[in-house]
Amino acid sequence: MDFSASYRDASGATHGHNYVLEVTVSGLVNRETGMVIDLKDLKDLMAREIEARFDHRSLSDDTPYFADRVPTAENFAAVIFELLDRALPNGSLARVRLSPTDDLTVEVSR
Amino acid sequence: MIRVIRRYDFSAAHVLARPDWSDAENRRVYGKCANPAGHGHNYRVEVVLEGELDPRTGHLLPLERLDALVAERVLRELDGRFLNREVPAFAKPVPTAENIARHIWDSLVGGVAPARLAGIRLVETRNNSVEYAGSEELP
Repeated sequence: MDFSASYRDASGATHGHNYVLEVTVSGLVNRETGMVIDLKDLKDLMAREIEARFDHRSLSDDTPYFADRVPTAENFAAVIFELLDRALPNGSLARVRLSPTDDLTVEVSR
Repeated sequence: MIRVIRRYDFSAAHVLARPDWSDAENRRVYGKCANPAGHGHNYRVEVVLEGELDPRTGHLLPLERLDALVAERVLRELDGRFLNREVPAFAKPVPTAENIARHIWDSLVGGVAPARLAGIRLVETRNNSVEYAGSEELP
């Protein structure tokens, strides 16, 4: 999924990125559906948990997650992992990959 | 576990040929890559770090420090060079993607503390890339 957000750095300057987020879910293939997870469900869940919270928002000013931590890509990826891990079926979140730019990716896994 | 993957680009020329082999032998093993005049690639190198987040900075390693390290130890040595002739590390070892990846690993592994170097991915063409994690000796 793609979304855009801004944040304030240590000096107070505001930056923004088009973030690319990759989510990996792992588990057994359901015998009836042939799927690990219904992609429509995953898409809706990502829209609710991530896009609604962060898209076109300031991470620093419009969300509560960076009150006591710096909104680096590392911390942002860790927050996204926590939010998705809480929302997805138990233990099925394997990895999130967050890229603020083409040159930088942060990967959080279990 | 958290990993940071940082991407850098450089361009370099190389010849895949061992000086102690005949031209015919080099052509047999390395094919058109053995052309003595050399050829070039736009390389992409991905540096993979892992470790613990520093709660103060929110980083595994400040990106400015990683960028400066890679510029000084890797890009300055390799970017715009004819690897076989201009880079001492490839005076004898053939600068295959495997050997270049291992050389980049060796150049960076001692400098990324408190993070740990988890891997080097070297993309030579859109079809070929090499990953090296320092865990086994290449022949």
